[in-house]
Amino acid sequence: MTKWIALVTALVLVAASCVGAREPGESGGLVWAIGAVDARPGGSASDTVAMWNQLHPNGPNVRIEALPESADDARQQMVLELNARSSEFDILTLDVIWTGEFAENGWLVDLEDIRPAIEAVSLPGPLQSATWGGTLWAAPHTSDASLLYYRTDLVDQPPRTWNELMEVGLRVGKERGIAPFVAQGAQYEGMVVNYLEYLWGAGGDLFSEDGTEVRFQREPALKAITFMRAALQNGFYAPGFNTMKEEDSRNAFQSGNAVFMRNWPYAYHLMSGQDPRNPSKVAGKFGIAPLPTFEGEGTISGTGGQNLAVSRFSGNVEAAKEFVRFASATPEVQRKLGQRSLAPTMASVYGDLAGDPVMALLGQVLPHARPRPSTPDWSAISEVIQREIFPAYNGQREPEQAVEAIRAFLQSTLDEG
Amino acid sequence: MSSVAIARSRSLDESSLGKVFIAPSVLTMALVALFPVLYAMVLSVFSYDGLRREGFAGLVNYAEALSSGEFWRPVNATLVFTAASVTLEFLIGLGFALIMARAFAGRGLTRAVILVPWVIPTVVSAQMWGLMFQVTPGFINHYAWFVPQDFNWLGTPGWAMVAIIIADVWKTAPFVALLLLAGLQTIGQDVYESARIDGASAWQRFTQITLPLLKPAILVALLFRSVDSLRVYDLPKVMTGGAFGTETLSMLVQRFVADTPDPGMGATLSILTFIAVLGIGMIFVSLLGRDLAGGGEGR
Repeated sequence: MTKWIALVTALVLVAASCVGAREPGESGGLVWAIGAVDARPGGSASDTVAMWNQLHPNGPNVRIEALPESADDARQQMVLELNARSSEFDILTLDVIWTGEFAENGWLVDLEDIRPAIEAVSLPGPLQSATWGGTLWAAPHTSDASLLYYRTDLVDQPPRTWNELMEVGLRVGKERGIAPFVAQGAQYEGMVVNYLEYLWGAGGDLFSEDGTEVRFQREPALKAITFMRAALQNGFYAPGFNTMKEEDSRNAFQSGNAVFMRNWPYAYHLMSGQDPRNPSKVAGKFGIAPLPTFEGEGTISGTGGQNLAVSRFSGNVEAAKEFVRFASATPEVQRKLGQRSLAPTMASVYGDLAGDPVMALLGQVLPHARPRPSTPDWSAISEVIQREIFPAYNGQREPEQAVEAIRAFLQSTLDEG
Repeated sequence: MSSVAIARSRSLDESSLGKVFIAPSVLTMALVALFPVLYAMVLSVFSYDGLRREGFAGLVNYAEALSSGEFWRPVNATLVFTAASVTLEFLIGLGFALIMARAFAGRGLTRAVILVPWVIPTVVSAQMWGLMFQVTPGFINHYAWFVPQDFNWLGTPGWAMVAIIIADVWKTAPFVALLLLAGLQTIGQDVYESARIDGASAWQRFTQITLPLLKPAILVALLFRSVDSLRVYDLPKVMTGGAFGTETLSMLVQRFVADTPDPGMGATLSILTFIAVLGIGMIFVSLLGRDLAGGGEGR
């Protein structure tokens, strides 16, 4: 008899452990998945969340889920959750280039019902990046355009062409015993944007404006790679350039080890030395300028920035939409972003921020800034550019072959569609 | 009357009852271990466009993977990494184990301290080594007098892999040491004493007694480490992101599963990795089995 009781008890326990593990999801609370430095404690996201939670004392409260700092890794984590139809994240932070991919995969709830509120206040460029196939899938939150940082104590005038930049950088770097130039040279998405800036600066592009034809011409493509290759060989690029991401380059510049830096606006605030926990050796000794081109005319920056979207698998779509609208179209929230050197997407707050040098320069640069092509294949294209350009500029692959391989791949993405 | 007798009288004998009892565990194990493998096999014979299934593809994915340089480069990198790191870990681990097996003051403390690298999560130690190998604030360039001050470990072909191997050896040599130490402690002191009386030198005692008797422990350590190294992901992912020929098989799989999703190709690559790891594991297990059986006959 005892044995039968034991058997039944065992089965019940097994059954209970299978069933009992499932608990109803946390009721009411919203989870905002966000990566990069914005997600750190005390980062820009915490400002936004604090304002929201204060306005909504009875909930739903928003909690920040910090994703990895690198955009590739952050995207991966979201893709894994969404692929598994997980309701873990309610609000997703999307890089401007992911809209097409996330929308095509059916991971997003469209934002058509809050479209009027968003359209009325957002800048046109970011708004376009949040749209795919004529539908609004996300709301612009921050924009971004890369800038040239230079040491005002070492350089009088920021150079206007890449070749002049190289010349001045090499000379001053040698005099001072520091590196001429830091930027993002590791094999990852950031390097692709850096490469595109050289490419655009040389008059090239990936696709035609309407995205139906490949415009990856040999001459500007090679000019860009050749420049990078020469820069690595002659020491214009800092030692370790080919392992640097945003924060590595900022750390090098901030500790006074570089004459020039290509980076996003976020670095300005961090390097100003206002936070005693984050001392800066270049506080008051650096300035910002538009990126150079090869010809010296105008400027071309890559744009970044983040849009907020609502996950299709969210348990609380309406509240999540409300938060997205709040974060994108509330002047107080957007102004606060601007105070942290993150470019707001609300046109109206730039007037309030005119005294800020970063915002003033962004006002100049953003109209000439170019987005990466918005195609659902972007991740695959970026992967191929990384695998071809990185070895090519490191002298491991013939530039001609790399250019040919990239062109063939770009063409294949059009042929499939 | 005992419960066993009751059970028997109700025609459910001991062994059937045993089967009933282990059924849930067997079922759970099948779900956890077998199902994913079978599911991956199913996925691997379909072709995908992004995440959308296009149709049955037979072995096309396999043919494509095996005929592509993109597959063999990571295979090569993984094998180089495994061979180098396992060899170094074994030699260093054996050295540690031999030292720790001796009686000396502070032996307990040493055994605990030596495990510290192994206890640190790999991602954390990868970050740590990544920072140490960096050029400018790099601690290694600062102290290693034999390399130039601005030597770019992680950004130079060949050296990137060396850096990753160093990080792995640092982390797992203690683990090998501990496994071997456990093996050493099963060897009785009497064998050594009689060898000493017979006039065997220290080297002879090591090669004739320690190594043969330690063989099962050595094989277990090598098995664990080889299988683990073949799956290496976190170290190269964090330290180089796969640049300069450091992309491993697991990173390749991850690329097709998550970065640029193609579930069919991802599953195919997982299955190929699985077969490679299983094959190497089986070689060790068969060596291990023969050794145990052979050792028994020899007595």
